[in-house]
Amino acid sequence: MKNILYLLGILLLALVLTVPSCQKDDGNITPVSPSAVTVDLAVAPYPVLSDYKFFRGVMKYQVPASDVIPLSPATPLFTDYALKKRFIWMPAGEKATYVADNKILDMPVGTVLIKTFYYKNVLPGGGTKIIETRLLIHKASGWIFANYKWNDEQTEAYLTTQASTVPITWLQDGEQKSINYRIPSETECLICHKHQGQPIPIGVKPQNLNNNYRYPEGSRNQLIRLIQQGYLEPGLPSNIVSTINYKDHSKSVDLRLRSYLDANCAHCHAEGGHCDYRPMRLAFSETVDPVNIGLCVDPDEFVGAQYTSIITPSQPDRSVMRLRLGTNQPNLRMPLIGRTIVHEEAVELLEEWIYSKKDCH
Amino acid sequence: MKKPYFLLLAIGFPLLSTAQVTFTATTYNQIPSGWPSYNLATVDMNGDYLDDIVVVSATEITILYQQAAGGFTSTTITTSMADYTPDWSMAVGDIDKNGFNDLLYGSGGGVTFMKANATGTAYTEVSFNEYVFSQRTNFVDINNDGHLDAYVCHDVAPNVYYLNDGNGNLTFHQGGIGDHPEGGNYGSIWVDYDNDGDQDCFIAKCRGGGSTASIDELHQNDGNGNFTNVAVAANMANADQSWSGAWNDYDNDGDMDAMVGASSAPNGETGVHSLMRNNGDGTFTNITAGSGWENNNTLSIEHVSYDFDNNGFADMFGGSDYLAGGGGKFMYNNGDMTFTPFVDAGVNISDASIGDLNNDGFLDLRHGQTVYYNNGNNNNWVKIQLKGIASNFNGIGARVEIYGDWGKQIRDVRSGDGFAHMNTLNVHFGLGTATEIDSVRVLWPSGHVDVVDSPAINDAVTIVEGTDPLSLVEIGNQKLDVFPNPATAELSISNIGLLNVTEVEVYNMHGEKMQAQSGNFGTINVSSLAEGAYILLIRTTEGNTYAESFVKKN
Repeated sequence: MKNILYLLGILLLALVLTVPSCQKDDGNITPVSPSAVTVDLAVAPYPVLSDYKFFRGVMKYQVPASDVIPLSPATPLFTDYALKKRFIWMPAGEKATYVADNKILDMPVGTVLIKTFYYKNVLPGGGTKIIETRLLIHKASGWIFANYKWNDEQTEAYLTTQASTVPITWLQDGEQKSINYRIPSETECLICHKHQGQPIPIGVKPQNLNNNYRYPEGSRNQLIRLIQQGYLEPGLPSNIVSTINYKDHSKSVDLRLRSYLDANCAHCHAEGGHCDYRPMRLAFSETVDPVNIGLCVDPDEFVGAQYTSIITPSQPDRSVMRLRLGTNQPNLRMPLIGRTIVHEEAVELLEEWIYSKKDCH
Repeated sequence: MKKPYFLLLAIGFPLLSTAQVTFTATTYNQIPSGWPSYNLATVDMNGDYLDDIVVVSATEITILYQQAAGGFTSTTITTSMADYTPDWSMAVGDIDKNGFNDLLYGSGGGVTFMKANATGTAYTEVSFNEYVFSQRTNFVDINNDGHLDAYVCHDVAPNVYYLNDGNGNLTFHQGGIGDHPEGGNYGSIWVDYDNDGDQDCFIAKCRGGGSTASIDELHQNDGNGNFTNVAVAANMANADQSWSGAWNDYDNDGDMDAMVGASSAPNGETGVHSLMRNNGDGTFTNITAGSGWENNNTLSIEHVSYDFDNNGFADMFGGSDYLAGGGGKFMYNNGDMTFTPFVDAGVNISDASIGDLNNDGFLDLRHGQTVYYNNGNNNNWVKIQLKGIASNFNGIGARVEIYGDWGKQIRDVRSGDGFAHMNTLNVHFGLGTATEIDSVRVLWPSGHVDVVDSPAINDAVTIVEGTDPLSLVEIGNQKLDVFPNPATAELSISNIGLLNVTEVEVYNMHGEKMQAQSGNFGTINVSSLAEGAYILLIRTTEGNTYAESFVKKN
């Protein structure tokens, strides 16, 4: 019954969207000024972020233009506790199509994915500091990366192709943390964002967006919102196998860990990935079988005599994955790039999962 | 006077049965341990040829200098905060020829050099801004100008190198020696696989997703700093997931063979390592089946080759059989291209830096604070210590050969072997039960050849470039020399009139006679020979034969 309602909802929304003018809006959608977004694929990437006009008003507040839609995957990639705001924009009249629950949407040429990395409670002042905004721009030749580094005044962000580091100190849940935040080079972006050597997005999959997001106009399923915007072809499957928020303690430890592993590990450790020669298969669609997480699986590499399995049931201190998630040592840590400090909450979650396993099944 | 010898007919005696050695662990608390210390190097740092223990961090270099009387004296030198630390590998060499070795740190973000001052008491950091996801690092004289350059495998982009201007100043370069756009470069081993006197570069490669970046590469050096990937033609284009290849002349036939070690068995297959015999003609044959390696299912990112039991045949170490309750995995060379596995439960490690830390001629392993001292056996040995003059200071890239009843053994001097570590720069040979070495020959990167006859055994022999120049034969203090070597058009033989020569012949390394002449013996026209190594043979009316190897270059 729920599914039928869901489908009906999508159909109704699709009908609403076939009405072409905002003037005839029934009030469900707040009228906004027309978007001024401009993405000339022949010119992009532009030298500065403001050139795209993705944001209204003062850019650092990241208020999106009317056709720049926020996104948020159920579980994000951990990058040294950086907070992120994500958006998607498509040229008028273009829309993405569904491929599979666990595959990135087939997005039209002209699509831009926008991701801003920032910290709150930044010391000494305690304010917010935006470090970079990364774009993935879909050109006819494929996706390109464009990274924009924000100035100290937080008034503009400038295109950068070279890696750089930004020292930052902030309060994370009341605890002071300091890192050298790394803005990656294009080459580094490609380590994770690739398929058969070509750049691709990672997170924009139905499984990660089939959840509610709090839009200014109210909370709504993200996929429905994209359909409503005209950014996604209607007619999605009724039952999308979906990841969850790894912080959602109302869900099973298994679902939480599997969601976390998908977001943080599966771009390499999945069939066809950068590191698929190692025995783990960590995509959400593959981890139904705990053997793919490494339960009772021999590690390829010796990292210490006590580490006899990738996951040793009920024994985190004999589990290679626990060691790798819990260290900052560069040749041992996982993920290899994208973090320099340990994600404590993830380590706790993994330990909880390991303790939940009493045997190899 | 040197006795006549005829290399072509030298028959390799099986020296003796395999005599596996054991190791005894000793822990030194003064060795810094645990990240962020990097415990990667066991190599001489101060020019006394005694291997030292080298541990670095972002701000310190700790050296435990091996003492002639045994034991160590520890020094810690504070450095500037290195931009990049050796997260993935470290190499050591003297880039400014001041007698104190310099350091190369390969990190996931870039490359830092630490250059020793004139007394080895302080180091100056030189870091490069260019992004490099470093894997194996090497010091090697890439353009053969006598100055050490540096080479760094790039995990995710074309490989990079740093050329030395002769004053120890380095310039960044990318491209030309392994240019796959996705990288996949893990284990670069510089080796003269085609015996033409220059350094070629083998790259053990690894990458998932079915990427062609996983296919190993073999870059042949044309002698002018131009490199061509000949892996397919050479039968070295292996797509197994490898982080290191162990190169040595496993059958003592005068050319470098390879064991390309697998780091994973992605489909659960067994026998994933590849033992590749050098055919001497630029190609390799996979002889894994029946060698013992087909049954070695111990995976490792590190594989290195040394003669641990000093029986005259190079062995291998890499990986651990800890899952089966064992320890470090050795493969002992039986001398006939078969290997016997030996798991040493007392060596509870899978990788180590390798050197002789008690100067007993038997190679030891070091991992962290622990030295695994080789307990040795009754076999004899010799240790060759090089000092370059025209070539780089450490003699990196030199080919060292020893001749005796066994025929010939060879080694290449390498900075950067296996995957991550830096091992001794001294050249170790086991002699088995042999008690005499006819001669030691060093073919320097410069082209100089030094020969030391009848060196002492069970001792170290120091050879300074150019002080024992090649002489074919010496009669009444007059030497017969073959020069230049390498040669392009003509080879000259000095003082040839001292011999009653009947014929001068040239053989290739397969023993095929390429040319002969029965007159005008002082000048040999070699212009029609293809590039490579050859042997010059002089026959006399008395029935003696004198042989000398030379290299032809175009």
